[in-house]
Amino acid sequence: MADGAMDRNLFRYIWRHSRRDQLVIFAVVIASLPFYFWSLELPKRIVNDAIQGRAFSDGKQTVGAFDVTLSLPGFLGGGSWQLFPGFQLDQMGLLFGLSGLFLALVLINGGFKYWINVAKGALGERMLRRMRFDLVRLLLRFLPQTLHGIKPAEAATIVKDEVEPIGGFIGDAFVLPLFLGTQAATAMAFILMQNVWLGLLAGSVVAVQLIVIPYLRREQLRLGKERQIASRKLAGRVGEIVEGIEVVHVHDASRWELAEIGGRLHHLFDLRFRLFKRKFMVKFLNNLLAQITPFLFYAIGGYLALKGQIDIGQLVAVIGAYRDLPPPLKELIDWDQQRMDVQLKYDQVLQQFLPDQLMAEELQDPARGRNEPLVGPLVVQDLRIMDQHGQVVLDHFTLDTTLPQHVALIGEGAAASALARVIARRMEPAHGRLQLADLDLTRLPEAISGRRMAYAGPDPVLFPGSIRDNLVYGLRRCPREAALSDDPAYRRRLAEARATGNPVDDPETDWLDYAAAGASDPLSLDLALVAALELTGMGADVYRFGLSGRIDAGAGADLRERIVGARHRLRERLASEGMARLVEPFDPARYNAQATLGENILFGVPLSGPLRNGRLTADPDFGRALNETGLADLLVEIGLRIAQTMTEIFRGLPPGDPLFEEFSFIAADDLPDYGDMLRKVSLRGPSALTLPERLRVMAVPLDYIEPRHRLGLLDEAVMQVVLRARARFRDLARARGSVAFYDPAEVCEAAPLRDNLLFGRVAHGLADAEAKVTAAMTRLIEELGLREEVERLGLSYQVGPSGRLLTPAQRVRVHLARCLVKQPDVVILDGACTALGEREAERILRMLLDHLAGRTLIAVLRDDALGEHFDSVIEFDGAQARLVRVAQASHHQHFEEVQA
Amino acid sequence: MTLDTEVQALRQVPMFKDIDPARLKLLAFTSERVSYGAGQTLFEQGAMSDAAYVILAGTADVLIDTSNGRLAVALLKTSDLLGEMGILSDAPRSATIVARAGVRALRIGKRVFLELLGQFPQMAIAVMRELAKRLERTNARLASLSAR
Repeated sequence: MADGAMDRNLFRYIWRHSRRDQLVIFAVVIASLPFYFWSLELPKRIVNDAIQGRAFSDGKQTVGAFDVTLSLPGFLGGGSWQLFPGFQLDQMGLLFGLSGLFLALVLINGGFKYWINVAKGALGERMLRRMRFDLVRLLLRFLPQTLHGIKPAEAATIVKDEVEPIGGFIGDAFVLPLFLGTQAATAMAFILMQNVWLGLLAGSVVAVQLIVIPYLRREQLRLGKERQIASRKLAGRVGEIVEGIEVVHVHDASRWELAEIGGRLHHLFDLRFRLFKRKFMVKFLNNLLAQITPFLFYAIGGYLALKGQIDIGQLVAVIGAYRDLPPPLKELIDWDQQRMDVQLKYDQVLQQFLPDQLMAEELQDPARGRNEPLVGPLVVQDLRIMDQHGQVVLDHFTLDTTLPQHVALIGEGAAASALARVIARRMEPAHGRLQLADLDLTRLPEAISGRRMAYAGPDPVLFPGSIRDNLVYGLRRCPREAALSDDPAYRRRLAEARATGNPVDDPETDWLDYAAAGASDPLSLDLALVAALELTGMGADVYRFGLSGRIDAGAGADLRERIVGARHRLRERLASEGMARLVEPFDPARYNAQATLGENILFGVPLSGPLRNGRLTADPDFGRALNETGLADLLVEIGLRIAQTMTEIFRGLPPGDPLFEEFSFIAADDLPDYGDMLRKVSLRGPSALTLPERLRVMAVPLDYIEPRHRLGLLDEAVMQVVLRARARFRDLARARGSVAFYDPAEVCEAAPLRDNLLFGRVAHGLADAEAKVTAAMTRLIEELGLREEVERLGLSYQVGPSGRLLTPAQRVRVHLARCLVKQPDVVILDGACTALGEREAERILRMLLDHLAGRTLIAVLRDDALGEHFDSVIEFDGAQARLVRVAQASHHQHFEEVQA
Repeated sequence: MTLDTEVQALRQVPMFKDIDPARLKLLAFTSERVSYGAGQTLFEQGAMSDAAYVILAGTADVLIDTSNGRLAVALLKTSDLLGEMGILSDAPRSATIVARAGVRALRIGKRVFLELLGQFPQMAIAVMRELAKRLERTNARLASLSAR
């Protein structure tokens, strides 16, 4: 077992990490037992002494009770001291006194149970946290070659789901058998003390429960496991069918697939049925035993009581004690079952997470980073690399040179890439030495390889988040001092982390190493990020993202002013260049013909509710504004006219035709409904429409733009009503805050930056209007020095899961830029640019050669078209390498000069 | 100018003159109206053919790139249809069109046009008839040329 890993035996693992807590809980459990025993004993006294009045049998009116006497056992001399004389009570007083005591004991027992449950729960959760954390930590220590064997979904399931029942069990692992066992033993002992025969009777029933039921249950468990595997496989098969459904249809295999699934379902049914029978059998037995014993107690106990061998109080107490016996026993049996189940699961989890070899823990020690650059003589001796299947990829490779320099590894096969990966610590060599100055590269701590090297492989791995988040990933090195160190919640967090072997680092604080990117604060870092993106050819994209981005609510007043200023300048600029008519600006007092009718009423960006989903008429304020201004009736009228036109011109097109989706105001499926409404209205007028119909018709014209759709529906009068509705809606919606309204003098945070600058709509039907306006806007942004701000906004663009919101080329560019941002000494380029196409890959390579002058670039190339630009060129043919050209003396000399 | 006036304009185009007005209205509705200032280019020679145009108002020059520079070979005026051959044959633009005076045109997207032809045989036949007539004219001209 590798160091730092988890114990093979679950119990040892639990004991090792929770010994102290378990012992505390033990102690409390033991402390609770006398109270429990007392609560069993007390009913006897209540019945015998208080109710039946045995304490008063010799004619006494009062009796002493609640005295506290300390007595020494006989072998210590047998002395006794009365610490508290107690009270003198009559029969009623005794009854209520004892009953009160009983109530107090019930409360105390409940209190113990509560505390024990909470402590157990906390213990279990802490262990679960530790276990999950240990698993993830192990995952991070997997060697590249072992990592290939792990399926991401499986690892996630293990960490999330499979350890969950183990965690739930941990709290009970030691405490439960102890607690229930002692409880059952106490009850058992109590019964035995009352009467040996009744005790033996209870004991034999218990024995049956303890022997027979677990036996039956064991079979049940086995079946359950079999069922779990069978249903997991069923899910897998259904998944396979769905994935391969095309093949199923192409080869007419439906019948076979159905038969196969049918067979599985039968097997599953069979298992479940057998399981059911077992389950109910166990239940039946349990119930039977539980019911039969009281019968025996009543019969035999009653007989003994009548014979005078025990008293009624004892009998009541025995029955009471017996009632307490089966539940702990049942739970004990459950516990044993769970124990087996959980140990099995734990073994399975460990099998996945304990490969033969893990990365040595010290290689991940952050303290092993160094500040010196990775330069100096590079010596490779007799290196052999093998792939996953044990094939030799590169053999007898020897090299003697000096870094920094630019090295081209040329070859079509796997050798060049394998060497690059070995240097980047993404692969372990099978044999050989790889030394840079005084560092053994095969055992380079990640604190050095991860900071001073950057490996860009063929798969651009991006994390969900913004482009910025992805770019600074390589700078997340060390957390700043937490600002909240005095906060009690924060202290508690730290204490919990320490108690569970978790890190005390705070993920919320600033982790970025600005200096590593040549920056000093978030602002200059952003500029460095943009510069890196420019290098990898993504500057224009980021600029575009910025224009479509939303202005941060935290943006300073200065930036807001500049944006509003730019908005006015853009208007002037367009006017002075004769392009004023290309954009129709938003004017609160005028209808914007280039915007939709709905936009004209809203005159802002919806923030919430139905407005946000485009269902304007569902918004109460909106409806009210339309009704109060009389626009509602107008909209119905216009909607009916549009419906009329749509039914006319789309008649004869089949319903699924793409033209419907693209052009029609009314979906093909809805057209008949509108036809009905039109007929109804032509016969009986607009009042014939029901309210839902009215709302549907009203919604139709909201997407209408006169210059685009050209149905000639809007005249000046309608526009005036729309403006009144706009004003009314604004009054209503303002209170609710459901819309961010356009205001010529303010930035609209909910709208993209582009809309904020344009503050209007580009005119429809004018050739190249969009392109001309964009060009004018870009020129202005450059002139006003706003480009930087736009690009910074673009850095906040979300890349989506695995970067899916970016194009493949953009992903590659972000991936490359991330490698450059941390300013590594050694950049290793292994097929990262292939996805960009040959020409772009070459452009980026030239750029990198230039950008990394004085630093090391190791590039895997397919041919030597650019070989002349490299200091060293190594060609690979199969597993053999040929040193075409290796930079030597001059660099050594250069290196020595640098060192001096 | 509304859809109805555009339908009137479309009826003046020989290729569309026999087509049901409701279809022409659909054609107009699914097209885009675009205005060009004098000197603005409708499309460039060699570019992808993505749309046909009907000139609603104004005039435009047809320019062809030759070894001696650009040559104006024809003048397009109201109701002329242009670019339809390119979208039918999937060939790149054979000429550059530049607005002479302000041009108002109806831009019929390639996808929409082909979709309409596919859905309405009457339209497809009208287009075929027009193309057949052109071929006939070309043949006749060839015959007269070779007879010379």
